[in-house]
Parts: sequence; structure tokens; C-alpha cells
Amino acid sequence: MLKFLFRFGTPLLGAGCLIMLALIVTEREWPSQLFNAANLQSFKILFISIILEAFPFILLGVLFSALLQVFVTDELIQKFTPKNPIAGVLFGALLGILFPLCECGMIPVVRRLIRKGMPAYIGIVYLLAGPIVNPIVYVSTFTAFRTKPELAYSRMGLAFVIAVIVGLLLYKFMKRSPLKATPSQHMAHHGHAHSHDHGSHSSGFKGRVASILSHASDEFFEMGKYLIFGALLTAVIQSVIDRSTLAAFADQPVFSYVFMMGFAFILSICSTSDAFIASSFSGMFDSGPLLAFLVFGPMIDLKNTLMLLTTFRVKFVLVLIALTAALTFVGAWITEVLL
Amino acid sequence: MSHHLIRAAILTGFAMFIVYLDRSGEMVLYIAPRMELYVKLSALGLYAAAIYQIYAALQKRMGKQALACDCEHEPSPSILKNVLIYGLFVFPLVLGFLVPTGTLGSALASKKGMSLSGSAGIERKESIALPAPEPKSDEDSANSASPPSNDGGKDTESSIDALFPYDEYTETHAAYGKKLYEQPLISVPEIQFIETLTTLDLYREAFIGKEIEITGFVYREEDMGKERLAVSRFAMNCCSADALPYGLMINWPKALDYVDDEWVTVKGTLTTSTYMDNEIITLDAIKIERVKAPESPYVYPDLNFG
Repeated sequence: MLKFLFRFGTPLLGAGCLIMLALIVTEREWPSQLFNAANLQSFKILFISIILEAFPFILLGVLFSALLQVFVTDELIQKFTPKNPIAGVLFGALLGILFPLCECGMIPVVRRLIRKGMPAYIGIVYLLAGPIVNPIVYVSTFTAFRTKPELAYSRMGLAFVIAVIVGLLLYKFMKRSPLKATPSQHMAHHGHAHSHDHGSHSSGFKGRVASILSHASDEFFEMGKYLIFGALLTAVIQSVIDRSTLAAFADQPVFSYVFMMGFAFILSICSTSDAFIASSFSGMFDSGPLLAFLVFGPMIDLKNTLMLLTTFRVKFVLVLIALTAALTFVGAWITEVLL
Repeated sequence: MSHHLIRAAILTGFAMFIVYLDRSGEMVLYIAPRMELYVKLSALGLYAAAIYQIYAALQKRMGKQALACDCEHEPSPSILKNVLIYGLFVFPLVLGFLVPTGTLGSALASKKGMSLSGSAGIERKESIALPAPEPKSDEDSANSASPPSNDGGKDTESSIDALFPYDEYTETHAAYGKKLYEQPLISVPEIQFIETLTTLDLYREAFIGKEIEITGFVYREEDMGKERLAVSRFAMNCCSADALPYGLMINWPKALDYVDDEWVTVKGTLTTSTYMDNEIITLDAIKIERVKAPESPYVYPDLNFG
């Protein structure tokens, strides 16, 4: 089933887009009431605005990743990564303070770091904690929840704890590399003189600049298709589904958590601005579900799940999502009881 | 080689789209002003990448293998798959360039859920709210043009202070409320739209009977009936995906004269009413005027407020 989904998922989606293109070109009306002119207009604005908002960050991410590839040697990264697993996990969880990237920019960088020899579990910890445990997100959360500063603290704390737990579990139980196998990786296991190092071999400034641009633009296309598809789904869902019908869950204790996490997953907004959305719900929900929204959303959402699938094996991504969701649920619940 | 050229075209397309949005002033529809600079910078990055793709295409044509990079991103050999993937990239461009842009309106506001009582982040606590406003002698006689504070300087500094109790979180709102209280006509500004609505809601007892003026688009829900409408704006933080609608309920006997999404300026006196079992602040309209839609349909939260 899954195999089928991933084999035909992308082409089917592409076909869907082509149908939409055809409809636009022929200026045909949408078949049903659901897709009337007003909804199409909101869809267009939401879709493009998500792409535009993500562009700077994704470009920053691929640029940073290309710079790492060209200028930082594998040995250097291995030297700087702590050998001790606990120190390594803590290092990964706090790396976001030094390199505050948001989730769209994160994936190419983490993949590069893992390929260059950073242990995979540390990379994943950075991937989870980085978009939350960083100064920019702290400030925006604090601003959005001026009346509940404890929410900003517990957001940072909970994200840190979850990332560390996931990291330690991965260290213990993950045997294979979580990255998708690629031909070049296969080569890397046999001989070390392989095409990966070409960047540092090409001599001179011009060679390096060309190498950076080459990596960055290829990676941009690789990540971009998932970003655009994620933005497409998010925009459709946001412009078609009525929020108030979903909010009926607010009263049920367990569902409110599940709902807010699902909502964060669907919305796929950047971790720097999601606090403002969460604060619009603060009249309706308790702190626990809000915290679940704030912690789960940046770690896992629709847009970045698709991007994760470009890089990591399907089974690994599913396990990671399940693990993060379960931990967020329990963690947010405990925090709610404690506060 | 054709891959490089297609990619160059797509990258240039996105860069030109950003420039086009900036030139036509449509950028404000998508992105908050504080994000604009970053988006414009990314246009530069896209251009640079496009130029590189052309360079690589030329290198390949001349027989040189431009930096034999086959580490991970070889394009798929399947033509169909490539068409679909590049189609995905072209789709937003076609949508952006060819479909005329409107603004967000009632359709999306009802999906996102209208807030009729200011920011939910600042909660109205009954404990800090006043039990009841002092009865004002001139309040019943004239419901327009005479704010309650006009009764001969009886309101001393301390009695105004008493109207605006605050705790550590609502201090700025209280200070802002006092400033608003002194104005004969409170016009809800664009810059502090949400903050003003929140303050009015927070200290509604003090502001009841005051004259308020507000501009926004007409929004309606079924439960509002024939004599009510809401005047609202979308508040945006980063991009329109995070925009949320805020509004003020208006009582007006001929509310049906105004269609959804029409831009209006309403002047009226503040009162309260019950809507969906909640007591919300409401304007008893004195005058409604149709106006031209403003350049930016959005309002932005003032991060310097408080």
C-alpha cells in the first residue's frame, strides 16, 4: 500500500496540478460549490504566500548546506561532534541556539551533516529541537503570549526534553542509517575517493563558487517540489475546511490535544509565526493543547513530512512521527497538570 | 542540458514573479512588511542560481562535464515524471501571473473563525473589570456627540484611573485606554487595530456610550440576522496563511443593504449585545458610508505595543 502510495503519489499529484492548470487556462468554473470563486481566490493567496514566506528560509538552508559541503571537511565535523552519546544529544538539542534555522531550511542541512559523518541520532535531535529551541522563536512566542509567559518557557523546555528522549532512543535502537540509500552512498562504503569530494577538489575561488551554486540549486529543486506540494495541500485545506466545525473538539479532554496537534500538522506554518496562531485559540483551549500545538507543529508538519521523505527512509519517518506525537501528547499533558 | 535550461527558466520565473509583486504593489497581499526584505533578497538568490544553471548548460554543450556532480540529485530519466515535477513548479507561477488577484474576504474569514472581541491572548477577567460604570447623567438624554466624561470636569484623574484597573499584563492596555477615553471620537486606527479593539473590549464599561469609528469589510454570519453585520479586517503576522480576522459587530436596521466584502466606514456608539451566548461589544451605528478598499487590506499586530 505504502509502496503504491509513494510509487504513484507524486505523478498523481502532478496530474492533479495539470488538471488545475487546464481549468485555469480555459477559465472553466470549478465543478462544485466547494471551489467557488471566493475559495479559489483565498486558495491562490494562501498558496503563494506560503511559498513566498518559505523561499528565504529554504534558500538559506540550501546555501548553508552547500557551504558546509564545499568548505567544511568531514573530519572537522566528526571532530566537533561529541563522541559521548549523552553529550552528543545535548549538543544536537542546543545547536539551534547557535544556528537558528526554521524547519524548511533544516532538512538539507541535517542531511548534509549526517552524510558528512555526524551521527544520525544527533542530526535528528537538531532537526527536532532546532526550529523551537532558538532565540527567534523564543521571542516570538513570548510576544504572542504576553499574558502567559510560562507557555514560552514550557515550549522551550518540552521541545528540548522531547528531542533529547527521541535522540537517546534512536541511539539505542537505530541500527541502520536513516537516510535513503543513494548510488553515491553505496560507493562511499567501498572507497572513499568518490564524487562527493569534488567540491573541495575543484581548485580556486571560481570552482568553489560554481560548486556552491550547483549544490544549492539542485537541492533547491529537490526540496522545492515538496515545499510547493505541501503549500498546495495546506492552502486547499485552509480555504475549504471550516475551522469552527473542527473546534467542536475543544471540550473533550483527549481530543483537544489530538486536535491541536493535527491542526499544527495541517497548517504547516513557520515556527516563528505559529505562536500568534496559537494565541488566537487561547480563549478556546487550555494551555496543554496549546503547548502540544506549539511543540509538535515545528517538529513535524505536513510540509516538512514530505520534505523528510525525500531524505529519510519511509519507515524511519513514520516511526519518528509516531514517537514525536506520543511524546508531545504525554509531555504536554504532564505540563498542563504541573502548571 | 535541457534540464539546466528548464531549471534556469523556472528560477528566473520565480525571481521575476517576486519583482513583479514588488513593482505592482501586490506584495502586501501575501507577505507582511517585515518579511518583504527577505523575500526580495531571495529573488537575488534565485537569479544567481538561474545564471549558474545557464552557465552549466553552456558548459555541457561545449562538451565539458560541468563539475561532474552526481552525488545525489540526478534528475529522473522518466519524461512523464519530469513533466509532472516541473509542472508542480510552474503551477504557482501560472497562478500568480495569470489569475487576477483579489483579497481575502468573508469566505476565508468564516473558515478561519471571526473574533468579535479583540485578541484572545488578553483575557477579560471579571475580577479586574468594574462592577458597573457610574451612572452618567447625560448618557440617556443624548446618545451621540457627548461622551460621558464631558459632565463638567467631575472626572478627576483618580476616577479615570478607577475606570481602568490593570494587572501586570494589561498595563499597556489600561494606559492606552485612558488615552482613548479622552478623545471625543475614537477612531479605530490601522496601526493598532487589534490593540484598540482589545482595549475597547477589556474596558467596555468605561467606553459604553462613546463614539467609535471603524473601517473594514462587511462580514456576515447566518445567526446575525437582518439587522446586524460585522466590520472586520484580517490581521497578518508573517504571511497570509497566518492571517486571522478580527471584527466589530454593528447594529443597523438596514444591514442587508450592504453586501459581503464591501468596504465601509461605520460611526456609532458603543454598547454591548449578546451573540452566540457571549456578551460582545457592539456599535449602534449612526452612519455607514461605503469607502474605497485601502491599499493594504490587512492590519498588523503592533509588536511595540506593550
